[in-house]
Amino acid sequence: MVTFLGATINGLVLGMAYALIAVGYSLVFGILRLINFAHGSIYVFGAYMVYLFVSLQVGLFPSILLAILLAGLLALLVDKITLEPLRKKNSMLISDLITTVGVSFIIQNVLSVEKVFGSERKVFPSLNLFSNITIGHITIQSSQIIMFVVALLLLLVLTFIVNKTKIGLSMRATEQNSRAAKLMGINVNFVISFTFFLGGASAAIAGALICGYYQVISPTMGSLIGLKAFAAAVVGGIGILHGSVVGGLVVGVCECLAAQYLGSNVRDPMAFVILIIILIIKPNGLFGKKGITKV
Amino acid sequence: MDGSGHPSKEMKKVIAALLALVMMLSLVACGNKDDSQKDPGNGPGTSQNDPSKDNNTPSTGGTIKIAVAAPMTGDNAEYGIGFANAAKLMAKEWNDKGGVDIGGTKYTIVIDEYDDRSDSDEAALIANKIVSDDDVYGVLGHFASGICMVAAPIYQDAGYVNISPTSSHANYSGIGDFIFRNNTVIVVETATGADIAIDYLGKTKVGVLSIDTEWGQSAGKSMEDNIAAKGGTMVLRQEVSVDAVDFATEIANFKSAGAEVIMVAGMYGTLGPLVVAMQNSGFTVPVVGCSNAYTDNMLEYAAQAPDIQIYAPVAFFAGNTDPKIQAYVKAYTDAYGAAPSALTTQAYDSVGIMLTALEKAGKLDRDAMKDAIYDVEYDGMSGFTTFDEIGDAQKVFTKVTIKDGAWALAEG
Repeated sequence: MVTFLGATINGLVLGMAYALIAVGYSLVFGILRLINFAHGSIYVFGAYMVYLFVSLQVGLFPSILLAILLAGLLALLVDKITLEPLRKKNSMLISDLITTVGVSFIIQNVLSVEKVFGSERKVFPSLNLFSNITIGHITIQSSQIIMFVVALLLLLVLTFIVNKTKIGLSMRATEQNSRAAKLMGINVNFVISFTFFLGGASAAIAGALICGYYQVISPTMGSLIGLKAFAAAVVGGIGILHGSVVGGLVVGVCECLAAQYLGSNVRDPMAFVILIIILIIKPNGLFGKKGITKV
Repeated sequence: MDGSGHPSKEMKKVIAALLALVMMLSLVACGNKDDSQKDPGNGPGTSQNDPSKDNNTPSTGGTIKIAVAAPMTGDNAEYGIGFANAAKLMAKEWNDKGGVDIGGTKYTIVIDEYDDRSDSDEAALIANKIVSDDDVYGVLGHFASGICMVAAPIYQDAGYVNISPTSSHANYSGIGDFIFRNNTVIVVETATGADIAIDYLGKTKVGVLSIDTEWGQSAGKSMEDNIAAKGGTMVLRQEVSVDAVDFATEIANFKSAGAEVIMVAGMYGTLGPLVVAMQNSGFTVPVVGCSNAYTDNMLEYAAQAPDIQIYAPVAFFAGNTDPKIQAYVKAYTDAYGAAPSALTTQAYDSVGIMLTALEKAGKLDRDAMKDAIYDVEYDGMSGFTTFDEIGDAQKVFTKVTIKDGAWALAEG
């Protein structure tokens, strides 16, 4: 029972961080019907920016803020430089897709260059800011509590932005019909940029949280975690914010329970096993419905 | 873009693209995954200086040659160049004393370098070239086990002594009686690891964590055997992916299994994050790694885990306070600009072993030299070395630990 509870808690915490990455996929998919595979590398980039600024003695919190800003800007730039020209030429969606894969590869490889950060794993600053909490036989690290609370708050903020603000209204309008939105005077290009920025910023926060928990950073860590988060977004129904959260939690918990009861080697494939099972039962994901309004 | 369109059709497209991409990206990920697992022990001694050439010792009885056959170009060049540097340094030291004394006549040692480019065809060509040279008495090389095993039968047939300072394949030294390795097989290393865990630390319940590579699995198995041989109990064996950073489950399991010490069959890329995770979760038992843990990068992780004692067995320790080793490290560093690694040091000792054996044989005879190697008790820089009947080096490992942010000898 103790091991079950311990694994479940670990899974919920990790799942919350996955959810934070997953919403980035969902937001962009909602607006552009595009899976942004560069998202995993934005996550890595964000984490490396925290690492960089902390090593430059900027301090942990200013470093995280700077990293959020830079990762958001990078996500925005990726769209401006590589995707917007394709959209203007009305290219096929598959071109956009392969472009994001390419961008992802470029970012990760630039980060691995010896003179940039190098390909080796490095020690990341700790997010264990207060002492661990022990309830019975279960120990919860302070970095886990921080990860859970921060991710939860951010997901609430994102939901608020999308549902209650003017820019959120523009996002939903663009999602429903971008041409009509444009005719109504909505600056669609700005909405798209803003969406990429939000996705990038939340990925950077997830990067800081996850790396601060494991205290390890490597340039290739984004491939797997990006795919897991994407699987989480699809499990929940891509394009639906609360779907991403539930998807993230399902993936996180299943992963930790699998590691506990089936062995550590099963951990990483678990996200995709769930993905396949859910899609067979509900092809649109847990919360995806035919004709549902997305974002 | 219309929300009332056909999401399920869209979804199908998305899923098809997704599955293709998952496959593609996982290939990409596989291609990159070993970056943090570079063999750590190998120094950057890539300078082309040649101390053996800048001495003018009078040669009273001509010269004898030692061939160095290793990759001097390509991906593994730093190892091969390290071998050549080490061989030249050793040759210089002997030449400075007047050379090898064989039955009263002094011979000057010349090092011949051959580049096998880590290529089997090239290695076979080189081996044939070497055995056609009558002045060559010993061959130092090659680097990778696979290449060693291509060349070794040629040396064996021609009756040339071949010592590889690196080959670790179980079958290599069994190729013939002229084939030796001055590198330990994993069993010996993990025996010292088990010795640290059980005798030195005085623990009985040992947990083993191994990575899921061929090396990790065999090292993990050999840890299990050695723990049992020392009279300890292996309470739990956990296997993790080589990329793993999340050890929460494994740590919880070790904790509930009552492990008092953890032995890790992994590189520092696994050991480092593990000790940090142990520190963070408050599970502060000692950890014993393998010799590859002995790297500077490990110190950064150790700084994050002040309550975890970290130990490793090493054959060569550059920080060893032994004046003999300090003199060697200084001589090597002065000549090549960087401290020697463990593998380079094994190459250095290999040349010393060949020359000692030749002197002991008392005649310029390769057969007698080979027989002498089996009797050599060589107190080298990479430990006190003898060879067993198969031709495997038997080394005594040193116990090192991290103390005050640096590697230090473990006392006692």
